[in-house]
Amino acid sequence: MLKIEHLTKKYGDFKAVDDLSLSIAPGEIYGFIGHNGAGKTTTLKSVVGILQFDEGEIFIDGTSVKSDPLKSKKEIAYIPDNPDIYEFMTGIKYLNFIADIFGVDSVKRLERIREYAGLFELTADLAQPISTYSHGMKQKLAIISAWLHDPKLIIMDEPFVGLDPKAAHILKGMMREVCDKGGAIFFSTHVLEVAEKLCDKIAIIKDGKLIRSGTMEDVKGDDSLEEVFLELEEE
Amino acid sequence: MLKQLLKKQLLEMFQNFFVDRKKNKGRSKFSSIMMIVGYAVLIVGIFGGMFSFFARSLLPLVDKGYDWMLFAFMGLIAVALGAFGSIFNTYSGLYLAKDNDLLLSMPIPIGYIMASRLLGVYIMGTFYSSLVIIPAIVVYLSYVPFRVTAVIGSVLFVIIISLIVMVISCSLGWVVAKINSKLKNKSIITVIVSLAFLVIYYVFYFKANEVVRKILANADAYGTKIKGSAYPIYIFGKVGTGDLLSAVIVLAVVGLLCALTYYIIAHSFIKIATASQNASKKKYVEKASKIKSPDSALCGKELRRFFSSPNYMLNCGLGVLILIAAGVFALIKGDMITEFILSVFGSEKYLCVAMTAMVCLIASMNYVSAPSVSLEGKTVWLAQSLPVSSWQIIKAKRNAHLVVTAAPTAFCAVCAVIAVKPSITAAIMMIVTPLVFVLFFDMFGLYLNLRHPNLTWTNEITPIKQSLSVFVALFGGWIYSIVFFILFYPLKERLVGELYLVLISAFTGLLCLALDSWLKKKGAKIFEEL
Repeated sequence: MLKIEHLTKKYGDFKAVDDLSLSIAPGEIYGFIGHNGAGKTTTLKSVVGILQFDEGEIFIDGTSVKSDPLKSKKEIAYIPDNPDIYEFMTGIKYLNFIADIFGVDSVKRLERIREYAGLFELTADLAQPISTYSHGMKQKLAIISAWLHDPKLIIMDEPFVGLDPKAAHILKGMMREVCDKGGAIFFSTHVLEVAEKLCDKIAIIKDGKLIRSGTMEDVKGDDSLEEVFLELEEE
Repeated sequence: MLKQLLKKQLLEMFQNFFVDRKKNKGRSKFSSIMMIVGYAVLIVGIFGGMFSFFARSLLPLVDKGYDWMLFAFMGLIAVALGAFGSIFNTYSGLYLAKDNDLLLSMPIPIGYIMASRLLGVYIMGTFYSSLVIIPAIVVYLSYVPFRVTAVIGSVLFVIIISLIVMVISCSLGWVVAKINSKLKNKSIITVIVSLAFLVIYYVFYFKANEVVRKILANADAYGTKIKGSAYPIYIFGKVGTGDLLSAVIVLAVVGLLCALTYYIIAHSFIKIATASQNASKKKYVEKASKIKSPDSALCGKELRRFFSSPNYMLNCGLGVLILIAAGVFALIKGDMITEFILSVFGSEKYLCVAMTAMVCLIASMNYVSAPSVSLEGKTVWLAQSLPVSSWQIIKAKRNAHLVVTAAPTAFCAVCAVIAVKPSITAAIMMIVTPLVFVLFFDMFGLYLNLRHPNLTWTNEITPIKQSLSVFVALFGGWIYSIVFFILFYPLKERLVGELYLVLISAFTGLLCLALDSWLKKKGAKIFEEL
């Protein structure tokens, strides 16, 4: 579903991501962990086509992000670490805008908005301007919009930040559901307990380099993910 | 602490002069100086010339010994312009700044936050009022014999006007904030209220010539009347002439008003700045939405942004109303306009060119596209991550400008055609030329904003009102329209008006093609890398 080959992204002379390679198969929830400034967001933004990268290749379902960005963007959804969305729109206008861009038909968008807004208890607020939403409500709206076009791959940067425990629980269920249907999830998090319970595979990035990746068992063995992470960080 | 806040405020206001947003690094000293000089030359050239001319027409008052009346008149215009230009700046700057929450959470006295915000308001108000009063002072001082008291009085007059402007704009900004905290459809109501101010302002402006004529003809009668029944205006005007006693009195009163305004604002600042907007909750009713194509959805998004922001509408879309008003005026007073053009230029050849230049000049007052890239702000990731090309996003911004501007421009142009009744060819060109100009201004605004984007603003006023792209788009449009008219003079013996319009349209069309190509290739690339 996602194949990153020798990705390198520089800011001036600084290598934010250095020769990073990983691949995610359909049905996998792939966690991405690392310290602040390790290169997680840069990697995710490169995958979704926001950042242009210097070396390497990224393929989404076989399509190169570099050579056919539009086709690859159609297959994915992205939720950033901070839900900065159009505050001059109402919630429903925003969802319809996203649905229009992805070409979601009228029936499907109505069904999905009803389902996900209902799950997150956001239905009553959909007619309100986004400028009146709390951080958590904006995050919920960003999640609903990401699920609207039934993407094959969902990229999320710290998706649980700002969500209440119930919403976080619902999101975990939705993530699993996407993978059960053959999709894939690639997300970054600092909450190692969540990563440990939720992810099929995990990658640890340090100073732009991938220092460990694989199935949860391969990465942590008999230790906890926290112990492994801290140990690798200290090396 | 206050020093740091003031520094932050000034940096935010003038960052474009010192920081290259595109390269995300500081400008060289030379580049900063050139930008500041270029800005100053444009301002002095356009407004300085306009208001110097106006002040000169009032000089007969000085000959009659009514110097104070010149200052009173120009001072009131300066106050009106300064206050009008700053009301919404005050409202947004004080109450809607995105860093209000951050600053309020820090151990900073409210007074310091207010003071730093008010500095921004003061600078903008002083800027607008100075456009009127400084040319008037220069005209006056160069006309009368040198007196030290006159120079001191002039300086005090500028300070007093700037303080009055701040008091008025703060008070009205506070009223706007109060109204906004209680109403639905805020943006529309805000625009209507502002337009009411604007209508008053323009009525005053258009009546100014008549008023000046009357004042000059009856200076004695008006002088006595003002001294008798509007004494504050008399001593206000006396300040400018160098009457130090009047200066002390007026300064004391203005100082008191400043203190009172500060007291009122300081006591309501937190309440208004942190007011919840949830007061009137609209209920969501599920219904099937109209499906739009990606291009149409993107253009709709741009239009929604425009119509949801009073600042955006009032600053960048004002030309719409002026175009409609000018069109109606041309229909009603067509004969008068024709006579005026013939009396000034003495040839019918000028009719269609002059009218077209005027329509183009008014259309250039719409610059919806000029801040549109910067307005993406922190949401730029959305446009960049959606499955649409950067060119589609730029095109949507271009189309939004056209949607807002093309129809009123066509209306105004058709009215101009009806007013001057030209030949069929001239009529067609009188409509086509402004529309080509609109497309050019539109793409020129986008070009400027892509070259000078600012995505890190904390107050939307910054990209809308204080950015280089907006400034150059507005004045560039004016200059282009004026130059296009002036260039006809040396060619008038060889060309008929309609042929000249064909040539100008073709030239502008070529510029549009060049800009279109730049926006598609370089512009799209720049947007991707923002």
